[in-house]
Amino acid sequence: MVADLPVPTGIQPVRTGRRQRSGQERLAYTILVPALGTVFIIVTIPFVIAIWQSVTTDDGTFIGLRNYSRALGNPLFFDALRATGLYALIVLPTEILLGLGFALFVHRAVKRAGLRATLYVAAVLPLVVPPVAVGVVARLIYAPGYGVLNYVLQTVGITHSEIQWLGVSALAMGAVASVDIWQWTPFVYLVLFAGLQTVPKESIEAAQVDGATWWTQFRYIELHYLRPLFLLILFFRMADVLRVFDHVYILTGGGPGTATQLLSLYIYRIEFRFFDGGQAAALAVMVLVSISILYSLVTRALPLERA
Amino acid sequence: MQRISRREFVKRTAVTGAAFTSLPAFLAACGTSTTTSNKPSKLVVAAVQGNEDGPLKKVVGNYKSQTGIEVQVVEFPYADLFTKLVTTFQANDSSYDLCMMDDPWMPKFGTMGALQPLDSNFGFTRDSDIPTVVYDVGTWPPPHGPVPPSEQGKTQHLYGITIVGNVEMFMYRSDKSSAPTTWDDVYANAAKYNAPNFYGYVIRGKATNPVSSDSLPILWSFGGNIFDDNWKVQLDSDASITAVDFLTRKLKKYAEPGAESFDAAERSQAMATGKAYQSTVWPGEITGIVEDPSVSQVKGKVAYIPIPQGPSGKGLGMMGNWLLGIPKGSKNGQAAADFIKWMLKTDNMRNYVAQGGIPIRNSILNDASLAAANPYFKALAASFAAVPNWRPRTDQWGAVETSYGTAMNAAVAGQLTPQAAMQKAAGEIRTVMKAANYPS
Amino acid sequence: MAPTPALPRKGGGRTLAIGIRLILIAAGLGVAAFLYAFPLYWLIATSLKGKPELYQSITLVPRHPTLQPYYSVLFDRGFWVLLKNSVMVCAATVLVTLAVGLVITYPITRLSVSPRLRVGVLNWALSLRFLPPVAVVVPYFAIVRTLQIYNQPIALIGIYSLFNLPFAIWMLKGFLAEIPIELEEAALVDGANRWTSFRRVLLPLAAPGLMAAATIVFTFAWSEFLFALILTATPNSQTFPVGVQGLVTQFEIIWNDMAASGVIAMSVPLVLMVIARNYIVAGLTFGVIREK
Repeated sequence: MVADLPVPTGIQPVRTGRRQRSGQERLAYTILVPALGTVFIIVTIPFVIAIWQSVTTDDGTFIGLRNYSRALGNPLFFDALRATGLYALIVLPTEILLGLGFALFVHRAVKRAGLRATLYVAAVLPLVVPPVAVGVVARLIYAPGYGVLNYVLQTVGITHSEIQWLGVSALAMGAVASVDIWQWTPFVYLVLFAGLQTVPKESIEAAQVDGATWWTQFRYIELHYLRPLFLLILFFRMADVLRVFDHVYILTGGGPGTATQLLSLYIYRIEFRFFDGGQAAALAVMVLVSISILYSLVTRALPLERA
Repeated sequence: MQRISRREFVKRTAVTGAAFTSLPAFLAACGTSTTTSNKPSKLVVAAVQGNEDGPLKKVVGNYKSQTGIEVQVVEFPYADLFTKLVTTFQANDSSYDLCMMDDPWMPKFGTMGALQPLDSNFGFTRDSDIPTVVYDVGTWPPPHGPVPPSEQGKTQHLYGITIVGNVEMFMYRSDKSSAPTTWDDVYANAAKYNAPNFYGYVIRGKATNPVSSDSLPILWSFGGNIFDDNWKVQLDSDASITAVDFLTRKLKKYAEPGAESFDAAERSQAMATGKAYQSTVWPGEITGIVEDPSVSQVKGKVAYIPIPQGPSGKGLGMMGNWLLGIPKGSKNGQAAADFIKWMLKTDNMRNYVAQGGIPIRNSILNDASLAAANPYFKALAASFAAVPNWRPRTDQWGAVETSYGTAMNAAVAGQLTPQAAMQKAAGEIRTVMKAANYPS
Repeated sequence: MAPTPALPRKGGGRTLAIGIRLILIAAGLGVAAFLYAFPLYWLIATSLKGKPELYQSITLVPRHPTLQPYYSVLFDRGFWVLLKNSVMVCAATVLVTLAVGLVITYPITRLSVSPRLRVGVLNWALSLRFLPPVAVVVPYFAIVRTLQIYNQPIALIGIYSLFNLPFAIWMLKGFLAEIPIELEEAALVDGANRWTSFRRVLLPLAAPGLMAAATIVFTFAWSEFLFALILTATPNSQTFPVGVQGLVTQFEIIWNDMAASGVIAMSVPLVLMVIARNYIVAGLTFGVIREK
């Protein structure tokens, strides 16, 4: 939490506290208003333009909400929402459970500081690999013909023919989800592991003396400290999952059919394959508004910093 | 005394202001400066990545040594190139002096008015050595076939000239059998020669453009079509569904596993490594893979013929020419036109062929001395002479191909029956055409 | 619920317990290590295969390892220009983002500003992180067209700075807040004005934080793909991720080049992150979750 900044006491010859504050405030606003104002305008202009694009045709005639009704009347839109929801349902619990499991594992089992530090660095690395590069890696694993996964499975003898990881809807969804899980489980691990470090050792030792199992220990002590972190992780990962584009575009392009056409790929297709600017703008506006509402609702419930 | 002095404030604002205004100028200066002088030092071509632009990249060096103008080839994968061209045209940007266009994209660019007319601006005329259909495919509005309603009043102009004479053909292992004449022959041969690790037929089934290109000749040969002459959707007609059933159920039995992910390179690779018996093929794949001695095990064992006949009695090949056009935004139109003319000169085209290029001159295609090195020339000349079909000339082709290609892909993958797939595609296409004010 | 008895603490039971524990640790770490290391190994291995090898059957180890794909990517395809563009765009983004970030963060943390304003700015900054880029690209493309900065690096620098500004604000706020205000006040007492105290006192102390923020902003900007894909047309302004995506094609058999480009794209952030590793979690959560 940010501590309140102390109000400077009078250092110069006689000023009342009030006049000093307004002097500082004036300076603050002089600097802040132009910069913040410019940024605010730059951020709001696209939103305004999107609204304008969504209610006019390409040559500027006003057509009201027709683009919105077309966007909502397109069944592919709901397919995209469903696909995104399914993706989130697969990815989020898996990442959290795996990350938690690994955090607990390392916390309990690995005591050597050197090893822990190495694991820390190793966990950081997948987080910063550019999503296009991760998409390339995934292609090299799942693609038909040159994908190494089929090769390994066949060599080891688990399967005897090529599995079409990218050609069967369920498998393709699994493939793109697996990429997300691969890249972001370390994030969950890092956060929860740090959280576990804050659990007071005395409580743990007391519990162990009482003979608690690892499960009891977790449920009654550690979980208490991790709970706020879970919410935050969910918050940030959910936001990322709704925005995901790069690696899905590279790995499946939305296919097979529209099985992995998540929301962002759907909007991309409407704007840059069908060139339906009005409908794309309507979708963009709807997405922006929904996210703003979601954001303001969620931040009320979360332990974010408050000054 | 936290008060800032007035002088200090002014100084700080001036510095900040100067920084913010000069930064963009500085950075913009880091970009290209397009010259408007008569002779540019560089021309930029937006090209499609793959076998089609390989020969182009190889011959631009000759242009530089002859004229001193460097031709920079900027490549994009197929779908991205279309998106890139449309967005560049929408921005009226001058980044590209020339663009490679697949012929089905002509209608969109023609409707957008995005290209400079080659005939009226740069004096291109029809050369008798070049098949008429090549000029027709580069003309907007189209000289025959249905014309989109919004384009019906416009004067016809030539906007693009073919530099890759792609017409879709058929290939088969001639060391194993004689040429199939009908699609029934194809089916019979597929059944006969299918074996483990030797596919009777290879389907190029990847979604949108790949499967669309692969299946349209079959669709047409069976009497089916996407639109009739009045832009009414025909995909759910009996003939169309029969054609789709033939490809996705019958031929699929003898096709490679994972056909729904196969694109042209995989298909040619299967042929080149001796794993396939027959398939449709584009000339670019022939020169690039199947007849490339460094990677092909079947050189000399494959023969090329026009598309086999269907129940309608005709084998309808499909145009897939890649044209070169000049965007309106280009500041070097004359130099660009000169480059196109240079590419079309017979000598240069022969050199282009030697680098693996696909020619369009009849004199070259019928030149006996080149036949041995280019076994597909005879079939290509015959395909041009038969006047191949072209894809529907609509500016909505992007949406149409996406709907049709996605549905076909689902049919190839077995997710939808041929009937369900075609009905789905037909419904989506009708919606798109109606929103674009086509008759329905 | 009866607690399970603790493990015996003496004799052979203890050795067995340690043995089992070690095996479990090794197995657990081993599986995780394999799942993460093998894909990267495969990427590098594929990037070392020559073209003819791609037409033969798959092997886990390249038959004739060669650096030809890297040469092909950087020089034949000319991607070194894209690399240069990426570096330039990312560096410029860092400069703009940190400069604007400081201008916004300084008043909030060092000067007394109403708490509501401070919270408002911080919350608004955080909300920008949740914008789906594809929703923003639709109107932003219209802006780029109007300003005629299509295919110019500045369009990318602008949008990257915008998207990274919220992160910079949060991160800088955290660092600046840690520096005691007394130090600046001491300088002010000594007769320096705000600007000098900022430059001489605050900046040097905030330098580690600035470096960390700079590294992370550079990394985020480096990975950006969608805007680069849409707003660029030629190697004049294309960045490296665009080039990588361009090689993911099934029209040509060029997986080795594709893998090589992936390795190059990955190497820059990986190196940077080893340097700035302590800040990445804070970076990804805008300082909401900060480890020390």
